[in-house]
Amino acid sequence: MQLIEKLTVLADAAKYDASCASSGAPKRSSRGKSGVGSTNGMGICHSFTPDGRCVALLKILLTNFCLYDCQYCVNRRSSDVPRARFTPEEVVTLTLDFYKRNCISGLFLSSGIIRSADYTMEQLIRVAKLLREEHEFRGYIHLKTIPDADPLLIEEAGRYADRLSVNIELPTEASLIRLAPEKQVRTIKQAMHSIHLGESEARAEKRSPRFAPAGQSTQMIIGADATDDSTILHTAASLYGDYRLRRVYYSAFSPIPQSPNTVPFAAPPLLREHRLYQADFLLRGYGFQASELLSGPGNLALDIDPKLAWALNNRQHFPVDLNRAEPAMIARIPGIGVLSAKRLVALRRHKRIRFEDLTRLRCALEKAKPFVVTQDYRPPLAEQHSSLLRQQLSETPAQMALW
Amino acid sequence: MHNAHFDGSFSAWREIARSLLQRGIAPHQINWLDNTGHAGLFDQSNDSFEAVAATQAPRVPRQLLELLQSAARFRQEDRWSLLYRILWRVARGDRSAMLPGDMDGSQLHRRLKAVRREAHHLHAFVRFHPRPDGAEGPQLVAWHEPAHDILASASGHFAERLGRSTWLIATPQDGVYWDGQQLHYQRPCPAEWQQLAQNPEDKGEALWLAYYGSTFNPARLNPGALQNSLPVRFWKNLPEGPLIPQLMSQARAGAQRDGQAEGVARQPGKRIRRPAARVDAVSGSAAPDLPR
Repeated sequence: MQLIEKLTVLADAAKYDASCASSGAPKRSSRGKSGVGSTNGMGICHSFTPDGRCVALLKILLTNFCLYDCQYCVNRRSSDVPRARFTPEEVVTLTLDFYKRNCISGLFLSSGIIRSADYTMEQLIRVAKLLREEHEFRGYIHLKTIPDADPLLIEEAGRYADRLSVNIELPTEASLIRLAPEKQVRTIKQAMHSIHLGESEARAEKRSPRFAPAGQSTQMIIGADATDDSTILHTAASLYGDYRLRRVYYSAFSPIPQSPNTVPFAAPPLLREHRLYQADFLLRGYGFQASELLSGPGNLALDIDPKLAWALNNRQHFPVDLNRAEPAMIARIPGIGVLSAKRLVALRRHKRIRFEDLTRLRCALEKAKPFVVTQDYRPPLAEQHSSLLRQQLSETPAQMALW
Repeated sequence: MHNAHFDGSFSAWREIARSLLQRGIAPHQINWLDNTGHAGLFDQSNDSFEAVAATQAPRVPRQLLELLQSAARFRQEDRWSLLYRILWRVARGDRSAMLPGDMDGSQLHRRLKAVRREAHHLHAFVRFHPRPDGAEGPQLVAWHEPAHDILASASGHFAERLGRSTWLIATPQDGVYWDGQQLHYQRPCPAEWQQLAQNPEDKGEALWLAYYGSTFNPARLNPGALQNSLPVRFWKNLPEGPLIPQLMSQARAGAQRDGQAEGVARQPGKRIRRPAARVDAVSGSAAPDLPR
């Protein structure tokens, strides 16, 4: 098989993993040195495909031969897809070529499970080691970790990779048992724990060897089972808490060729995925608790964003006076983000905040209006009912598709 | 009216601005004429801007100068007059002029953001073409068309990235060449640099194009998100640019059923038989390796 054919197959096989981040790595530079590659903490999206997703890394599988039979996965052993396997040297060649062309900032390497978990993990590590040691590659490396691999192998992977990730795959154990019979929540969490431990040790001791400085992430597939958003968000929140994950990626289940009957055969629930990302952002960046966004079972609203939904359910906190409120509370106002909140606080040291200042800061005025008080503005006294407001502020429902 | 002629560089602008500020000349009394613009009908007279005896040197925060220098990279007719207006106001004690909530400050910050974004576009969307081994000159060349004057300040990034490789980036306005040790900046861009960058002999793009087509998921087609993040003006200089409309129309014409790339769907598949020994995710299990 030609290299280009392998690439076609193994990139196609890897694309269901949503993560393509190249951020969070420490500062490295190749200026005046042999080898190539730099990182500075900021990720770079080098291209975007027509699905709107960014291309920051060369995202491929080492092989899509796989002994597992996970129902949601295009590479499950019972799937009738073309199979291929790269040699480690081929992956190195591709990475360096794309990197010099400035098409990517690094490599995201994953693999189907061949022979054994340890063997597969060793193969992944070999590629990273070749890149780092033989070719002095200082770009970004993200390695997928095989859950059942020996913790010593995970430790070795952490020395070469900027980021490690173990996929939690599905939000509940019951779904995992049903759809991914060879995987176990226990071993997945053990692997997360090993990575977390490695990270903490490297952080605690200054001179210890580096370990996955960009931390770990995971991915959950949305819509392959019937789990609701509340369970998903609570699972995510506990993962953030227990293992200090940098990111949880939500991947809307995308129908796969020759789909088995156990998983849906419908268009991916993209809007639901989007709302989960918004909610996740509120957990990580705004100090919201999962229980504030969804207190009982159920899903996030699709017609309004989760912050607006929270504000409509908690009218007792509003309207908020921008000239007096705590910065954290300003950031909770719909239509005003963390950055605008900071800027408002800086501005009010010099002058009283007026409504036109919100216009200049490009806040979402329609959303913010019912919830703010400025020096020259306050929402009409006869307060509008939340349900009416919601009707006004909901995003126009998309037209039903014809097919 | 005072006509301020200068070479269009920030340092020259700064010298003149300092002198004007010391003489107490208000923003609306100045015509800023860098040589990129066209001379007006009454432009013959040029003021002299020798530094006035520093009776009261204007004092402004150092951070303001950094902001102004960066905002000066924004291509717009009135770029110098906005900068002077802000400098004037801050020097007279009105610091809100540099804040994003202010009338002038919001313009300033809008420009700063656009300049930052354009530098980021350079880092993201420049595509280097390797030149044949042994060819004279740089090993990698790229042609890029930025919307603002960011090449000089933003191209050091590639020296960090590419180590000792030599490279050249040419634009319609200026160019930069890294010889492995040092950055050489030229404005205007030498014609032979432009020639090199626009006509690369590069036959190795097929792999990248194959990857781009294959990593795209046609079941998630979302042209709006694509255009927000990858503005159409960049497509013509990206090797994958011509692929974008092709992939979109293929996806619309039916490939949306599932996520598989067309080139993969055409190939024969291979099911893997259930491993003989139950592979219970145990390390070192005896299951045979799979054929290549």
